[in-house]
Amino acid sequence: MTISLDAGAITLSGACGVEEAEPLMSYLESRPDLPVDISAATVIHTALWQALMVFGPEIIGTPISSFMADKLLPGVRADIATRREI
Amino acid sequence: MDELIEQFAIEARELIQQASEDLMALEANPRARESLESAFRAIHTLKGSVGLFDFGPMAGILHQAEDLLSQARAGKIVVDAALIDPILAIIEWVDDSIDGISQTGGLPEAQEKQATRLLGILNGAVTARDNDAPADAPAAIPDWALSLHQLMSASGAAGQMIAIRYEPHPECFFSGDDPLATISSLPDLRHLTVSLKEPQPLPEKFDPFRCGLLIEAVSGTSLAEAEAVFRLIPDQVKLFVLTVAADKRAGIAPEPASGRSPERQSTTMRVDSTRIDKLVEIAGELVTAKNSLVPLSEEARNHGNGPLAKRILSSHHEIERLVASLYGAVTQARMIPLENTFRRFPRLVRDTSARIGKAVDLVIEGETVEADREIVENLFEPLLHLVRNGLDHGLEPEDDRLKLSKPKRGRLLLRARQRGDQIEIEVADDGRGMDPQRVRAAAVDRGILSESQASTLSETDILQLVFAPGFSTAASISELSGRGVGLDAVHTSVKRLGGTVELQSVPGLGTSFFLKLPISFSMTQLMIVEVGGERYGVPITAIVETHKLPLSAIQSVRAGRAFVLRDRTIPLLHLGELLQVAAPNSQSGDLKVLIVRAGQEDIGVAVDAIAERAETLTRPLAGLLQGVAGIAGTTLLGDGRVLLVLNMEELL
Repeated sequence: MTISLDAGAITLSGACGVEEAEPLMSYLESRPDLPVDISAATVIHTALWQALMVFGPEIIGTPISSFMADKLLPGVRADIATRREI
Repeated sequence: MDELIEQFAIEARELIQQASEDLMALEANPRARESLESAFRAIHTLKGSVGLFDFGPMAGILHQAEDLLSQARAGKIVVDAALIDPILAIIEWVDDSIDGISQTGGLPEAQEKQATRLLGILNGAVTARDNDAPADAPAAIPDWALSLHQLMSASGAAGQMIAIRYEPHPECFFSGDDPLATISSLPDLRHLTVSLKEPQPLPEKFDPFRCGLLIEAVSGTSLAEAEAVFRLIPDQVKLFVLTVAADKRAGIAPEPASGRSPERQSTTMRVDSTRIDKLVEIAGELVTAKNSLVPLSEEARNHGNGPLAKRILSSHHEIERLVASLYGAVTQARMIPLENTFRRFPRLVRDTSARIGKAVDLVIEGETVEADREIVENLFEPLLHLVRNGLDHGLEPEDDRLKLSKPKRGRLLLRARQRGDQIEIEVADDGRGMDPQRVRAAAVDRGILSESQASTLSETDILQLVFAPGFSTAASISELSGRGVGLDAVHTSVKRLGGTVELQSVPGLGTSFFLKLPISFSMTQLMIVEVGGERYGVPITAIVETHKLPLSAIQSVRAGRAFVLRDRTIPLLHLGELLQVAAPNSQSGDLKVLIVRAGQEDIGVAVDAIAERAETLTRPLAGLLQGVAGIAGTTLLGDGRVLLVLNMEELL
């Protein structure tokens, strides 16, 4: 199980492939109040990033991958923040 | 970076020299296989070095040249002027570029303009490769790249970069694409923006399996590399070469050649290693020469000149101290960081992993650890072999990894650590690991050891059998690491450097190779033993342990003798007999025995006495003594006496 709904967050862990996009979407739809914790995810497929951007939850945690942590995440967070303001 | 470029320039000139000599020899005699091989190696190495930097199209051009030579090696194309001329032209071009490169750190404009022409020549006709962005002209920047260009100028970055606009196909997820993973495999990613093409999609209408993203990125890599990353989806990607000026002006001014300080002063200098070796040798001789002062002071005392004797003795101590520090300093001069070898791997691993279709993260640690130059340089081959082994046999294909719920990307670790006077290098993968049972079966199968021997070995010991000559677990020989040489090649080369290699593996979790090597082999640890009134040195590395053995413990086995140590029968030899200097001394009560490893077996070697240990500089035998079997060299002891150092493996 790479996507799970914990007490306080939707948690992505391990390698999250494209097939997780649907479960992630349904969590995001049903619990828009919860943040998404990606600190335990090693790989996150583009489709999942896209879902995160569309639904715009709060993304918490720092992934291990430096690509995700340094290059991808700051931009995605900023993107979500700007679109919230609109 | 400057230091790297400097080193590159020196190396590149040597390689260019080598390649042009070889090509000319080939021109004279197209059947000269050796020249062809050597030219190929030179171009191959040159390409590798160029790949460490961003010299625009140079890497790609050299790659094509290498390709041609490799086809010639395989006999697919004939070696004639049509092959040699273009490659010589390339070499000249690289040669011309080097001056500019060492001044500015980048490919000079004049040479860059010729790149397309050269590629044309290489392709046999002037149908040059269809480059979207001509390398020679600062063409107008397309609108989409303009903002990236401004962004990069504003951030103060400079040099050549590749602007990337990647608009994944809406259905791309179905064809197995992971656009961001593709982007993450770009080397030297400087900037990344991901945005939704439709700014405010309604969540209820959102289809998670349709890609509606736009990815913009800037990478410091070369155009060729970027093209390689996107080779499967060229229709979805636009690339543009940005030349960002060094200052913060937004604009496309070509980088001024004089823009950087020409008076760059380097604190390092390249010295021919034979000169340093000469210094080591002289320092070694000084160690002995200073000892003659001691008898001199004795003599002075005997002549009744006490004060003079004291002065000689005190200067002896002074010289002794200085010689020791000289020796240390000279040995230090031979030390270089492992980085020199390690830095060749990232590129190599990336290339290889792309070729075999396994995504791999290479982690390098401890590259600042230093060791003797010769050790560092000779480590490349065995490490390369282990890294390839890990890539090829260790790491599973992505699908298998996913099934085992492992991260899709494999991990390779290359880590160096200093442990006392040794370095330990670990090459580890998180792949499928080795199964001791399979290794055991294969070893018995190939006659490396008998079934009964195999059954007594522990699992750890069984795994070490992969280093035995003639052992290879791969069912078929693969293009990558199976070229007739197995891990025994690694074992041999590490052993030649005075080191050991060990293997640990957990099936399913991965394999780790541990290489232990001396930091420097200018100094050897010797154990001094006595036999027949003579003293000999035995390298400590050859000795497993020493033992005191009561005569009663020795049993006769046919013509030989043996004893039992920890439930194992160990044959016993006498060093005096081996050296043909003395018969075994039968009076003494206990025998002193060195346990020496010869191949896979331990052998006991009896000596008359075990004296002190010494750290000395062993030199190979010269002149008449050269070629005497069993003698590794001579060394001078502190008191000026010459000690023969034995090569136990040759003796046994």
